[in-house]
Amino acid sequence: MAITVQQLWDEGAERLSLSIVAGENYLNNSLLEIAMNRPGLALTGFFQYFANQRLQIFGLAEFTYLKSLSTTEKDARLRALFEQKIPCVVITRNRKTPKGILELAEKFKVPVLRTSMVTMNFVNECTVLLKKLSAPRKRIQGTMMEVMGIGVLLRGDPGIGKSETALSLIERGYCLVSDDVTEIRRTSRDRILCWANEVTRYHMEIRGLGIIHVPSLFGVSAIRRETELDVVIDLKKPSGNEDRTGVHPDTITMMDVEIPCITLPVRSGRDMANIVEVAALNQKLKELGHDAAKELDDKIIERLTKGRVRHG
Amino acid sequence: MAETEIIKKFKVINEYGIHARPAALLVKAAGKYDCDIFIEKDDNKVSCKSIMGLMTIEGYPGSTIQVSASGEDAQDAMDEIEELFVNKFYED
Repeated sequence: MAITVQQLWDEGAERLSLSIVAGENYLNNSLLEIAMNRPGLALTGFFQYFANQRLQIFGLAEFTYLKSLSTTEKDARLRALFEQKIPCVVITRNRKTPKGILELAEKFKVPVLRTSMVTMNFVNECTVLLKKLSAPRKRIQGTMMEVMGIGVLLRGDPGIGKSETALSLIERGYCLVSDDVTEIRRTSRDRILCWANEVTRYHMEIRGLGIIHVPSLFGVSAIRRETELDVVIDLKKPSGNEDRTGVHPDTITMMDVEIPCITLPVRSGRDMANIVEVAALNQKLKELGHDAAKELDDKIIERLTKGRVRHG
Repeated sequence: MAETEIIKKFKVINEYGIHARPAALLVKAAGKYDCDIFIEKDDNKVSCKSIMGLMTIEGYPGSTIQVSASGEDAQDAMDEIEELFVNKFYED
């Protein structure tokens, strides 16, 4: 997903100690490639394979090299670089920006940012931020809880009891991440991070009660800002078709990531929070390499095999 | 009966946009019907049966919102939702 320089500025101005030196009006330039480039080689006049769609970082090396050039040469090289339609320039170590760059920035509509950080630290931190900003994200319907370190997403039709189950889990000491609407982002190849919408964060809607604010009622230990998704639990009306052994666990695919999925039938009087809690614990156990359903099945198969030998 | 999806666009014309009260009215209206109803704005699609969802779509005054309903009673549901939008959620 391409991002704009504006997004980088909004999220990173403080974190990366950035300030705008020139080209303030061109912050909506797109970073088509989510990466950074040291334009040293381009400054020597070599533009083959020049990564012009990346953030261009001017560090000590670039400045020292520019200093070694005559004024006319320096201007020509910088101009050639800006002619490559670069999206943005970042100057590290709070170096004074050469006048030439300021003029070129306006002429070629390139924002120039400056940071007090040294290049290495800036590149490392900015990479993390760019990765975060460009990660695929979406908004899904479901209530997100953290149960003993396991991220549980409760889904189900309206009125099935997602929020009520979440409320019971909160009373048991677990944490609410988001109620009913959850923002998700794929943070790596196989992990999804979940958090709540800024506006409704830590609020819940309970039928008959209306909207409640969870940390005010239950304290800050009842909330969690974000958590990784480990298991999806679908609350459904009983169909008679439920999994009875758990030997062949279901999974669903969310943003190309496969996530374990458990379907729980909801009947009146059934303590859903208790079952969700056990489901989360069981998931934790599986992650430790201990699969109760499979182990029992293996034991039975082993006995059956032995029996066959004895009787056969 | 083949399931058809009804899609309609509405402009938010009440004074404060979709805040808690209009959201509650929409959820109440939508909740009466079996069909699936979604509300969409700027790539954000949420169930019209979720208060939390409706409060996150940022339906500010003057914005346009797309409602889609699919299921047997979709038309009736859409009519009731349209009434709410047209009548500014009965706010003075």
